[in-house]
Amino acid sequence: MTATKAFGTRVALAASLGILAATPVLAESLVFTSWGGTTQQAQQKHWAKPFSAASGVNVAMDGPTDYGKFKAMVESGNVNWDVVDVEGDFAYKAAKDGLLEPLDLSQLKGVDPRFVSPNSVGSFYYSFVLGYNKPALKGAAPASWAALFDLKRYPGKRTLYKWSAPGVLEIALLADGVPANKLYPLDIDRAFKKLDSIKSQIVWWSGGAQSQQLLASGEASIGMFWNGRVNALQQSGAPVGMSWNQNLTAADMLVIPKGSKNKAAAMKFLAYATSPEAQAKFAGETGYAPINLQAKSKMTPAAVKSLPDQHGASQINLDMRYWAEHREEIAKRWYAWQTQ
Amino acid sequence: MSTALSSAAVPVRRRFKIGAESRGVKLLLPALLLLGGFFLIPVLTLLLRSVMEPAPGLQNYVELLGSQTYVRVFFNTFMVAGVVTLITLLIGFPTAWLLAVLPKRWSQLMFAVLLLSMWTNLLARTYAWMVLLQQTGLINRVLMAIGVIDEPLALVNNLVGVTIGMTYIMLPFLVMPLHATLRAIDPSTLRAAAICGASRWQALRLVLLPLALPGIASGALMVFVMSLGYYVTPALLGGTNYMMLAELIAQLVQSLLNWGLAGAAAFVLLVVTLGLYAVQLRYLGGGRTGFGGR
Repeated sequence: MTATKAFGTRVALAASLGILAATPVLAESLVFTSWGGTTQQAQQKHWAKPFSAASGVNVAMDGPTDYGKFKAMVESGNVNWDVVDVEGDFAYKAAKDGLLEPLDLSQLKGVDPRFVSPNSVGSFYYSFVLGYNKPALKGAAPASWAALFDLKRYPGKRTLYKWSAPGVLEIALLADGVPANKLYPLDIDRAFKKLDSIKSQIVWWSGGAQSQQLLASGEASIGMFWNGRVNALQQSGAPVGMSWNQNLTAADMLVIPKGSKNKAAAMKFLAYATSPEAQAKFAGETGYAPINLQAKSKMTPAAVKSLPDQHGASQINLDMRYWAEHREEIAKRWYAWQTQ
Repeated sequence: MSTALSSAAVPVRRRFKIGAESRGVKLLLPALLLLGGFFLIPVLTLLLRSVMEPAPGLQNYVELLGSQTYVRVFFNTFMVAGVVTLITLLIGFPTAWLLAVLPKRWSQLMFAVLLLSMWTNLLARTYAWMVLLQQTGLINRVLMAIGVIDEPLALVNNLVGVTIGMTYIMLPFLVMPLHATLRAIDPSTLRAAAICGASRWQALRLVLLPLALPGIASGALMVFVMSLGYYVTPALLGGTNYMMLAELIAQLVQSLLNWGLAGAAAFVLLVVTLGLYAVQLRYLGGGRTGFGGR
């Protein structure tokens, strides 16, 4: 989920920040930065507002998350963000580079241990799923990543995530027959060779809204998507299908930038945002899965059904630690291949 | 009488001019401070980073210029900017000419249409093009419905899409300076050309174009330079095989946090752009924008 995802909301958020800055300062306040759009709206509604009401700490919204800005703030010592929603591989890399405050893990209760580290705690988790436009495929129902590479049975453009990030390479390898438990370390040559076979048919999406537009219009007949985005399309009545088979999960993480001026309040906010209630309400609205193990008991059965973790058996975890280690070298190969 | 007037006027004008120039410099001060503080210093920091990160030395430049990928991205950037400038010019010149010769009411209306497009959010406009140009989009559907084509044309996610989207966005930046230049041309020069027996083509080539050259040059340079650094439109309407530099720099800065390499890329682009500007100043006089003319 890169910065482009929330491009349009920047102005609106800046405006709302201005208003918040003008209101009298409460005893404590902090700034929460996320990716904008419907996701951040849900975070504001279900995390920030009830947290402010309960604690008296004012939470201002900012966004979208921008790693360049993040690094610049920490380096200059002028840190305006207190809690930031980041991607998993960035959380590990930032911790390694000394850009993060350590967390007080004793304040976190019930969080899935997969999504806790000394410097970061899960925000929510999502899956890359196979999505397809039903009319464009004329009734065929693809059920695995291999379908992406089967131009005969599933003709049309395929749309994939544009940036060098966890997901596409794994999908290519899975489609090529690599077993899920042998994915890492990634065989990059093999992945690109597989991708070569459909290269001319790929349309890249760089943000969630664009991916929805491509899929709903049938411009792309099939592709990889964030599950919440296909979920939203289905709810709006678009003729799109989704396969959870081999869905690839990754978590967004919450971190406190090093040098945050409101560390104590930020930690309290993290504890609230990752609590079962806050997680359940957020997941119920967005279709992204809670990272708190007790959250599901607080959700309606219907909401639980649309979550990525209902498909645990067919699920594959993207290895964010591997990506944090190899980000740069993969990126080089990635852009070399893309621009060829 | 007239000689007395002109001889008296010269020293007055000269005195006035000197005063205006020194006053002008003072008036420039806010702009200079702004540029110095918010442009020059960051650029210098960037340059410094490009030779200091991750270790002191020129390795970022070696990597940049030694890598096929980055060289290709540089080439793409200049190629796309060149194509966009050319097509903007081909559309913009007749438009600017029409604006200059139409009755005021019509030219005002045309200007309004031109400016209106500039006031609409860039992202919204780019998405609109995406919807129009895609395979299932309006343009392809209409062309297929009236039987011009059987298969949808690939108008987006490639060079065609970038060129269409960017030409549309750049058009006002060319038309406005060019329009100002064309309006300043005395129509009687064209009449004089006709009286001297010049055909329409000769009048255009030998009279109008040379006179319009400063406007063409400054407009084209503006479009070219703006295109070099363009981000949103190529990112959304282009495919990855024509990735432009701004997109790569954004990735290096925001996602990979490789600021050394990003700084080197930005600096090379800056140097090349300034070089082009210098060439234009040298050979075309840079339009009539300079202080006190040429």
